[in-house]
Amino acid sequence: MSYDIDFFYTLKGIDTLMEGLLVTLQLSLTSIVIGVSLGFVVALMVMSPSKLLSWPATSFIEIFRCTPALIQIVWIFYCVPMLFNVFLDPIVMGVLALSLNLIAFNAEAYRAAIQAIPKAQLDASVALGLNKIQTNVYVVLPQAIRLALPVLVTNGISIFQQSALVAIVAIEDLMYMGKMLSTETYRPIETFTVVALIYFAIALPAMYISSQLEKRLKVA
Amino acid sequence: MSYNVNFLFLLDYWDALLEGLMTTLGITGLCLILGLGLGFVVALLRLSSNPVVKAVTTLYVEFFRGTPVLIQLFWIFFCLPLILGFEISNFVSAVIALTLYMGAIVSETFRSSLRAIEKDQMDACVALGIGGFTKIFYVILPQAILRAIPTLLSNSVSLFKESALVSAVGMSDLMYIGQNISSVTFKPVEMLTAVAVIYFLIAFPLTRSVSWVERKLIHKIAL
Repeated sequence: MSYDIDFFYTLKGIDTLMEGLLVTLQLSLTSIVIGVSLGFVVALMVMSPSKLLSWPATSFIEIFRCTPALIQIVWIFYCVPMLFNVFLDPIVMGVLALSLNLIAFNAEAYRAAIQAIPKAQLDASVALGLNKIQTNVYVVLPQAIRLALPVLVTNGISIFQQSALVAIVAIEDLMYMGKMLSTETYRPIETFTVVALIYFAIALPAMYISSQLEKRLKVA
Repeated sequence: MSYNVNFLFLLDYWDALLEGLMTTLGITGLCLILGLGLGFVVALLRLSSNPVVKAVTTLYVEFFRGTPVLIQLFWIFFCLPLILGFEISNFVSAVIALTLYMGAIVSETFRSSLRAIEKDQMDACVALGIGGFTKIFYVILPQAILRAIPTLLSNSVSLFKESALVSAVGMSDLMYIGQNISSVTFKPVEMLTAVAVIYFLIAFPLTRSVSWVERKLIHKIAL
């Protein structure tokens, strides 16, 4: 092997990588907040008795769950500006693509959780005179979040990982910066290894939390 | 709106798309088979009492589940040739990357289905004097696979979707060909939509079949 491992240039470029990491975190955290909240709304729409609500919501979920995240991102980047004549900041576009994806996956998680809530509770809400919104907010939502939490965390981790795809449409996230740094320094091994380790260092604690949550829920 | 949507031109390119789809399906199929084998072996190794074997396999699984597939692919495409000292084609690196990814997620599936097999069965094997390979192939494997089938199906759908990433290392799969045609013809809306529809037409029935298989299985083994 003629390649000498030398982390000097990669470590010198650590600032660049941190800048990228900031963008990655910004993209993922914003998408997670949007995904967790709107995912619940979409789940309610899917379960609504009105076809007008459930049909679009179901199609939305199926489309985003059954196509590669890469084509969703590329589609939104190239086609949204052309079709609607809107030109948004690349990061906003990235958040849009990632959160739509996450909303679809979270809605599925919420739906499964809501189905696990005993029907008797809904009858009790009616008996107590709660209206639809009160029932959803005070009875269904807290339990749905609790039951869906492990899956929501897992989905959050995967959107953090999927966020690396935005590098392909030239958003300057961790992945993009890593690719650039490796080309500039001719140090692919060191750079890509460091980038992978940064992703791993963030995902691992989250994975641990998710499995702990699952264990606790099983006990409860 | 100044963009005219016209899907008719797609007819001129259907054979190129078909070729791309074949590459996508080929690579998915190959990595599916390799990944299933790898995942099963890794799942068994993680149950091993040898702490080194356990640590190495656990680290492998956690690492490949904890990092983006794109960086795995790039690492193998750009770094592995430097370490090995010889070139590897983008096809080989794509297969290695996706197989390792699939192996990691599949091993988790097998692990949870192995856990679901009750301890009594292990005791029964000891009582009957069944050990080693016979135990694995005649007692554990059939049950573990049966229980794992629904999750394995959704793992396969994930693999199929992740396979679009190989376009990033220049493999001419469905995604790559779609992107190329869309930039040559300046018709991204139609082309990318068509590509998305093709992916959807394959992934949707598979995703749907997961819950169908689940119901059938629950009925069959009365879990």
